[in-house]
Amino acid sequence: MFYVILESTRSALISILAHGLRSFLTTLGIVIGVASVIAVISLTQGMSAFIGESFSSLGSNSLTIQSHTPISEAMRGGRARLTPEDLELIERRAEGVASITPILYASRSSQVRYAAQTTFSQIMGTTYAYRDVAQAWVQTGRFIAESDNLTRRRVTVIGKKVREDLGLPENPVNEYVELGGEWFKIIGLLEAKGDVMGFDQDDIVLVPYSTMRSLAGNQSQIDIQIQLSLSEGVEVDDVTRQLTALLRNAHDLAPDEDDDFRINTAEQLMETFDTIINMVTLVIGGIVSISLLVGGIGIMNIMLVSVTERTREIGICKAIGAKRHHILAQFLIEAMLLSLLGGLIGLGLGYGLGTAISSSIDSFPPASIPIWAIALALGFSGFVGVLFGILPAAKAANLDPIDALRYE
Amino acid sequence: MKPDGKMNIADENLIRLNGIAKHYEMGSTLVRALDGISVEIQRGDWVSFIGSSGSGKSTFLNILGCLDRPTRGEYFLNGVYVEELGPNQLAEIRNREIGFIFQSFNLLPRATALGNVMQPLVYRRIGYRRRREMAREALDRVGLGDRVDHLPNQLSGGQRQRVAIARGLVTQPSILLADEPTGNLDSRTSADIMQLFDQLHSEGQTLILVTHEEDVAGLGDRVIELLDGKIIRDRRAGEPLH
Repeated sequence: MFYVILESTRSALISILAHGLRSFLTTLGIVIGVASVIAVISLTQGMSAFIGESFSSLGSNSLTIQSHTPISEAMRGGRARLTPEDLELIERRAEGVASITPILYASRSSQVRYAAQTTFSQIMGTTYAYRDVAQAWVQTGRFIAESDNLTRRRVTVIGKKVREDLGLPENPVNEYVELGGEWFKIIGLLEAKGDVMGFDQDDIVLVPYSTMRSLAGNQSQIDIQIQLSLSEGVEVDDVTRQLTALLRNAHDLAPDEDDDFRINTAEQLMETFDTIINMVTLVIGGIVSISLLVGGIGIMNIMLVSVTERTREIGICKAIGAKRHHILAQFLIEAMLLSLLGGLIGLGLGYGLGTAISSSIDSFPPASIPIWAIALALGFSGFVGVLFGILPAAKAANLDPIDALRYE
Repeated sequence: MKPDGKMNIADENLIRLNGIAKHYEMGSTLVRALDGISVEIQRGDWVSFIGSSGSGKSTFLNILGCLDRPTRGEYFLNGVYVEELGPNQLAEIRNREIGFIFQSFNLLPRATALGNVMQPLVYRRIGYRRRREMAREALDRVGLGDRVDHLPNQLSGGQRQRVAIARGLVTQPSILLADEPTGNLDSRTSADIMQLFDQLHSEGQTLILVTHEEDVAGLGDRVIELLDGKIIRDRRAGEPLH
């Protein structure tokens, strides 16, 4: 069997090289098909890798708890909340939590003003623990301290984007900005973190949690977010289960009621994005692989012509002792080699294309091809070659030697 | 794999045909291309079959060359009962027992002289180096040792036929089966080729020629004349025609 394959490959290569231009045109369909599949995959995979990196900057082992109103509850006009009591409960009872911080978003206006400049930003009331949980480090000045919270000091730490938007000096510490009608002293500027999927992580304004609460007035029913980071070596799932039990109990939920909160991990978010990207890859890849089938039909077409052209040769080979499987293998391997060749050229071309696209668009992550995509592209093009080579090869193998020899 | 044929006990004949008939349906009429041919050929013989077109020559050649099977009759080739073999077994018989030489040479156009001669050995699972050696020897034997790397279209008609003969010889077959071997050659080249046949015959090679040319046929030991699918005359060479 190996001998037959070796000899067939030898003669197939001779035949492919003998018709250089025709072989190239035949395989062009496969080249284009594989090139587009690889270009798409290399772009989306590059994006996926980039997102992975971005999320690790979000704090890899942090959890976010948000209130969540189930639809059935919302229909009855209910609205789920996470309260400061929930925070206290978790602080007191949950195990495996390294640091925990509440986040209270500005409920009314998120307008920020400095002199004549006004901008809108994400204003969050939080505590000193936010620094550890969200991996937010101060570039100049200091972060919110515990004492700031205890005394409801009107101080703020801002992101780089806010400083630029407001035209604040390079070192904005000790400047005053107006938030929701009150004046806040800037005590720190955060390190730039860049953006994740269009959300600018530098467009934030942090104020002490208790200050934010007092600003919100005596709205008794505030809804906070809780962010916490886990201790080293603690399983995310264990903590999630624990928190779920605590909160369900605190919220008096019956066993058949849905959770009125959501616990999100950075990992979960990343998985969600990954799922979306894989879906996109799959759909586009699927559409593009139709062109591979079209390429395969092109190969079949030319192989059929080639069999007709070489009918006499086939007759000669049969007369001097070629068996059915010799002829079959020769044409099948020729089709497969043509297709594989196209696959290889397409692979190089597709990678080049992906790299060209990703480098010509600013802020687009660099293209990368995973090994599985290479294997898939070559495997699939080889498969297409065999699939569409079967008909011509069978036609050749089944020729009657006398008729074939007589063919002009 | 050795073809599964019945052994014909105590038969010194290389070929034994017994009542071979080949009938075709052509439209509604039945064509009797061969109609009961019985002949025996010994090892080392040079036998010419002669007949005009339509005499059944080609059909006979196809059957003799195991390219086709008769409708009726028995065919023993080198002790093997050919009749019941399948296409693959016939292919093996062709490869082992028969060297074909055609009127139009029938070389593979994209292969060199050497490649053409090596081709039958591919079907014998012989390695590349050994194939090359054997093919060179065969080409030397037909006097083309200096033309091994030429493509068929770079060779003259006579040289092409020599390549074809080398291809026929390289497998050391029982029979060299030639179909109008000089049909596409001028008279001088024809004479050269016939001389080569004579040389091969003197070396003990069994030769079967099918031709319509009386003077080509006359060079063999034995001339068998066909007409309408039947043998009408079987004579030793040199015997008078009438």
